[in-house]
This record gives sequence, structure tokens and C-alpha cells, in this order.
Amino acid sequence: MEDPVADLLTRCAAQDRAAFAALYRDTSAKLMGVLLRILGRRSEAEDALQEVYTRAWLRAGRYDPQKGRGMTWLIAIARNHAIDRLRARRPEAEEAGEDRLALVADATPRAETRLVALGEVARMRDCFDRLEPDRAEAVRGAYLVGLSYAELAARHAVPLNTLRTWLRRSLLRLRECLDQ
Amino acid sequence: MSDTPALPPDDESDALAAEYVLGVLDLPERLSAEARLRTDRAFAERVARWENRFAPLNEGYEDAPAPPEVFARIEARLFPRAPLRRGGWLGWALAGLAAAVAVLAFVFLPLLQPGPEHLARLAAQDGATAYEATWVEGDLTITRVAGDPAPQGQVHELWLIPPGGAPVALGLLESAPLTIATAKPQAGWTLAVSLEPAGGSPTGQPTGPVIMAAEIGA
Repeated sequence: MEDPVADLLTRCAAQDRAAFAALYRDTSAKLMGVLLRILGRRSEAEDALQEVYTRAWLRAGRYDPQKGRGMTWLIAIARNHAIDRLRARRPEAEEAGEDRLALVADATPRAETRLVALGEVARMRDCFDRLEPDRAEAVRGAYLVGLSYAELAARHAVPLNTLRTWLRRSLLRLRECLDQ
Repeated sequence: MSDTPALPPDDESDALAAEYVLGVLDLPERLSAEARLRTDRAFAERVARWENRFAPLNEGYEDAPAPPEVFARIEARLFPRAPLRRGGWLGWALAGLAAAVAVLAFVFLPLLQPGPEHLARLAAQDGATAYEATWVEGDLTITRVAGDPAPQGQVHELWLIPPGGAPVALGLLESAPLTIATAKPQAGWTLAVSLEPAGGSPTGQPTGPVIMAAEIGA
């Protein structure tokens, strides 16, 4: 399958700065969307964006097109960095906590309408449909917004360990379904 | 969180990889998963597979325009001494110069040995332990040239520090030389080695003493 982002990453690994500029031009809106969604604050998302592209340039040589698409690799760097920042925030600095929970409900339907279009995406929706609705929603919410186990437990009003047990079971069931 | 029912070891590793990708872990668990990622290849493969499995959910992220000045900041950080100038007579003059250099390189390159380029030598204060950093065609290699690896239960971790930036972890220095495919470190950047617990820094930033450092091109 064609993967223009993978081609740009390969050129970045060969120190091609024009490719790096093209990579930023073509992918920064998506990564900014990811960072803004998880971090919630524009100034912090911009700082994070700078860090994410610095890492992408420095690590481009480790990207392996055989193992996944370029955009998936970039989004993983962005999500990991954003979630690291989120988890390192002090609790008292987390005044936007409840707003973050509200983001999930807001996000899900929109995501779903887009998911229908593509083949692999349709299969993912089928696999989510086989989970209990609240568990499917927990997995999606955690992925898109970066909710922690503690936040999910509060949202679903269950003890943290109970939530972790059923979320782990859901993940393994999801794996079974997606790998078929 | 350890009193959740035990899973078979394979499922346990895979569930942890999924939880890491999903992002639900608290900070200490996340950091320990990141430390494991650096040393446990099978675990890194599991994480990569989960990233691919969840990739369709990325459709749920809306685009948000990124300000162009952020890219200028990124370039200034990564390429501090080589501003790219475009357009005008200077652009043409530079293009001409580049062409001349290319011709010279074409003529003389076969005569040159494609040997490694020395970047920096890092030595501990007492001089007993030292590392040599070299650059060959896209790979940074760090070789221990004197002394021993870190004592049992600890490890030497290599960091790259851009001017005014936070250290970026490059890898663990054990018995064999460490080779990393990376962008060429620029003059003015610092390479440093810190002493960390086995498996590497648990926080992603140096936690132990920095035992040696050297600026590239100094």
C-alpha cells in the first residue's frame, strides 16, 4: 500500500531536511489534533508538538515501514509524549479533570461516523460492537483522550481493580477478534 | 494494582502492552513499561502490534492547524548553525557553490577513505573509563575505549542534549559498542553518560550522576 509519510520518514533518516519540512507540512495538523485532544491546552500542545517532531527526526532511522504505517508511528510518538505529560501533571494542576471526562462523550459519535468508511476500520467497529457498550466506550475514551484507570474508575463508579480486570479482559477479547 | 486476577504469562505481557498503548497506566507503571520497552524486544513487538491494532481509532482525531512558527523553533533547535536561506541572488549563489562542491566531491570522493568520523571522546573524571563517539553513514556508534561497564545492577545510559533542551535518551552502554540510527548530532550538542539502575533511567530523564559529558565539535 502507498505510504507517503513512510517515504518522508525514510528520507528524514537520511538527513533530508526538505523531507522533514514536507513531513511537518503534511502531518502537523493531525498531530496537533492529537496533542490538543489529550492535553487540552493550546500552549502545552504547541510545546509538545515541538518535542514530538524533534524526536521524530532523531528516531526516523528506527522507523521500519515493514512494521506499520508512517502516520501510525508518528501518532504513537505524539500520544505517548502527551500521555507522559498528562500523567506527570500534579493533581492540583489538573483542574480541567472533569472537562476531560466530558470530552469522551463528545468524541465518540463523531469518531464512529468516520470509522464506517474504511475496511479495517469497519472491522474494528464490529469488534467493538461485540463488547459490552460501557466497556467499548471505556477503551475508546482511554485511547482518544488519554483517560487513566483512576479516571475511568471514577467515571464508571467501580473500584479501580474491578475496572482494570474487566478492561484487560475486554482488551484480550478485542485482540482475538481483530487478529482473526 | 497487583491484586487483579493473574493471567497466563503471555496474556499478562500482552495486556500490559495494550494498557501501555491505550495510555491508562499511572506514571510509575508507565515508566516501568517504557524501561522494559528499551530492553525487552518481544515486549516492544507486542507494543508495536497493539499500535497497529488501535490505528483505526486514529480516525477519531480531528485535524487542528499547527502554527508555522513552531516549525521554525523545531528547526532552530535541531539545526542550530545551518540556517537555510532561500530565494534571491544569495540562493542562486549558494546553489552554484553547492554544484561546485558536488563536482569536487564527485572527483575526489573515490580517493577518500569512507572511514568513521570522530565526534567526541567522553572520559570519566579519573580517566579510568572512556567512550569514543563516531559517525558513519547515518549511524552513531559509541565504543568503550577504556575501563569497564557499570557495576552489576547498574548501567551506563547515553544522552543527547540539544542546546537549551532536555536530554534525549539514546540507549544503554553495555559490553558491546552501541550503534544507533539517528540524525547526525550537531556541533554544540552534548553527549553525556549517566549511571542508572539496570534497565535504564525509570523516568526518561537522567536520574543518576552524570559521570561524563562532551560537547560535539568542542
